[in-house]
Amino acid sequence: MAFQPITGPVSSPGSGIFPTLVFVQGNDQRTINLDHTPFTVGRKVDKDLVIADPRVSRDHALITSEDGQFCVVDQGSKHGTFVNGERVQRKTLERNDRVEFGVRDVSYVIFHPHHASSNTAREFLSQISGIQISTDTTDLEKLTLFLEAARKLNTTGVLDEILVTLLDATLKLTRAERGYVFMRDEENNLRLAAGRNSKGEPLLDDTTISHSILDEGVKSNSEFVITDTSQSLDLAGRHSIVAYDLRTVICIPLRKPQVQATRDAQVAVPSESSAEVMGALYVDSRFASRDISSVSNDILRAIATEAASLIENARLVQAEEASRRYQQELSIAASIQQRLMAVTIPEVPFARLKGRNLSCKEIGGDFFDAVNTDEGLAVVLADVSGKGVSAALLASTLQGMIYSQLSAGMPLIDIVLAANRFFTHKHIGEKYATLIIARIRRDGELEYVNCGHVPPLLVCNKEVIRPPHGNLPVGLLADATYESDHVSLHAGDRLILVTDGVTEAENARGDFFEDSRLEAVAAKSATLEDIFAAVANFCGGTPLNDDCTVVELVYTG
Amino acid sequence: MNLKVEKRRVDGVTIVSCQGRIMFGDEANALRDFLKQVLTETPRMVLNLSGVTYIDSGGLGTLVGVYSSARGAGADIKLTGLGQRLRDVLQITKLATVFEVFDSEQEALTALGRGAA
Repeated sequence: MAFQPITGPVSSPGSGIFPTLVFVQGNDQRTINLDHTPFTVGRKVDKDLVIADPRVSRDHALITSEDGQFCVVDQGSKHGTFVNGERVQRKTLERNDRVEFGVRDVSYVIFHPHHASSNTAREFLSQISGIQISTDTTDLEKLTLFLEAARKLNTTGVLDEILVTLLDATLKLTRAERGYVFMRDEENNLRLAAGRNSKGEPLLDDTTISHSILDEGVKSNSEFVITDTSQSLDLAGRHSIVAYDLRTVICIPLRKPQVQATRDAQVAVPSESSAEVMGALYVDSRFASRDISSVSNDILRAIATEAASLIENARLVQAEEASRRYQQELSIAASIQQRLMAVTIPEVPFARLKGRNLSCKEIGGDFFDAVNTDEGLAVVLADVSGKGVSAALLASTLQGMIYSQLSAGMPLIDIVLAANRFFTHKHIGEKYATLIIARIRRDGELEYVNCGHVPPLLVCNKEVIRPPHGNLPVGLLADATYESDHVSLHAGDRLILVTDGVTEAENARGDFFEDSRLEAVAAKSATLEDIFAAVANFCGGTPLNDDCTVVELVYTG
Repeated sequence: MNLKVEKRRVDGVTIVSCQGRIMFGDEANALRDFLKQVLTETPRMVLNLSGVTYIDSGGLGTLVGVYSSARGAGADIKLTGLGQRLRDVLQITKLATVFEVFDSEQEALTALGRGAA
């Protein structure tokens, strides 16, 4: 057989220059340097890796190297070659891949595992599958080992992987046949979060477990509940016990750590009955399988404590991730809003229009727009309820609808009716919009329709008028009807539209800016900037809760 | 979360009292879930908002949503304890014409009793 030197990407200094194969067979484990290819695997004694099992073919498989990649190639074996549980003919190997030759589970090879200093969940998983329980070390030492490694998982924040890791560790320690983690969902029901059997296979179905024991375990105040069905006759009649031949069931409630969880597994953490139960760890074994009822209490207590803090940590990491995503969402919403507010204001000889927006940190659904047609200069100011991306997107859609209809010179009432139909017909949850559309003709005739919006300010000769006209917001009630109002403006008269972010701007004492202050500043001010300055002055350093938008329409005659 | 919600039963009517702010997000969601749960128990409800210091646009949307879906399902909700602010908001939004608002819990209960009789 011609050997070729290895030129692969051998990066890990810990394992020397060659990738390693960790061969696990029963309780034995040895590390083989993959120092040449093709590396042969089979039952024949001249193979590089000899596996003496009748299910392994004589010439079972090869590991070859090509372009720096390693590949396992099945040699037409009878029982197949598997990579991570999947039967393959030929497969490029990744670090930590689990390769099985004909015989499943009893013996396998881990390709080039990472070393203990690494800290990803995947690496850890391969580590614990490599570690074998021997009778020399105490169970507690093993547990400590597992959980030390498991702590490193906290940096990865992958709850699912942590659950699987936890199950694998628990199954090894208890020597149980099957293990499940149940977590409480929002409705407080226990939901299957992960399941594994002792062969490391995922279990997706929890119908064959004893749910009554699970429920009892969660409700009990103890750290764990062991049920040996051969010892307690009253259990023997239960459906699942009989139907699924369950012998021993262990249920460990996972309680939210109350204080700093102790790392010394031998010191029992007092588990208050009031402590919130996050979920449960459930393992069982059948009559046909081994007896696990003699698992030491120390082990179970340690698992109970450590598992809970592990899951809690994982949840905290997940919460951080959620917060990162939220920040991302905010920036998406902000960019939508910028587009909403990027309005080209039409220039007309008879009126002057200005708009200004001050965004709060959380993005809302304010927008304004202006369109000039033969019918006059139209301006719309709207505020979609809610915040974030959904509000911004809805605002964007609404803006498009209204813009196109204003451009087509549609009557204002028809436009708001269409918007209301759109919202209510599409069942956009409880989202709705308050809006005001105003259209001023060359001759000063103003028509406007207010749909639940802050009433506009009409400033005529330093006198502020708040017309009482109003309608329902759009999107709340499908059969709402709308009316518009008409006002004749004279040269110099101003119409000021604001969103409720202005009137509800808060100061440190929790007072609102209110209509009265708005009216006072509108009466004497000449510019939008004065209004914003007054709001800023009132709020002091208190940040805005909501977007502030002010639009001013001056009829110049 | 700045909202506390309590319920009690009087003559087959559930009186729900809110304390705090009803804002878009946690508060509005919690209130919606609570009211929906109550409505599965009793179809007649008085919602007392006298302890509510602030209600934003999202909170108002939630109230209208629960109110109109309850009405659609044949349930009856009366509002009471509205502060001046909330009255103003309902006035501006013309929602005062949609909700049935009463000055006191007793008046709301009486109105519900008439409806049932």
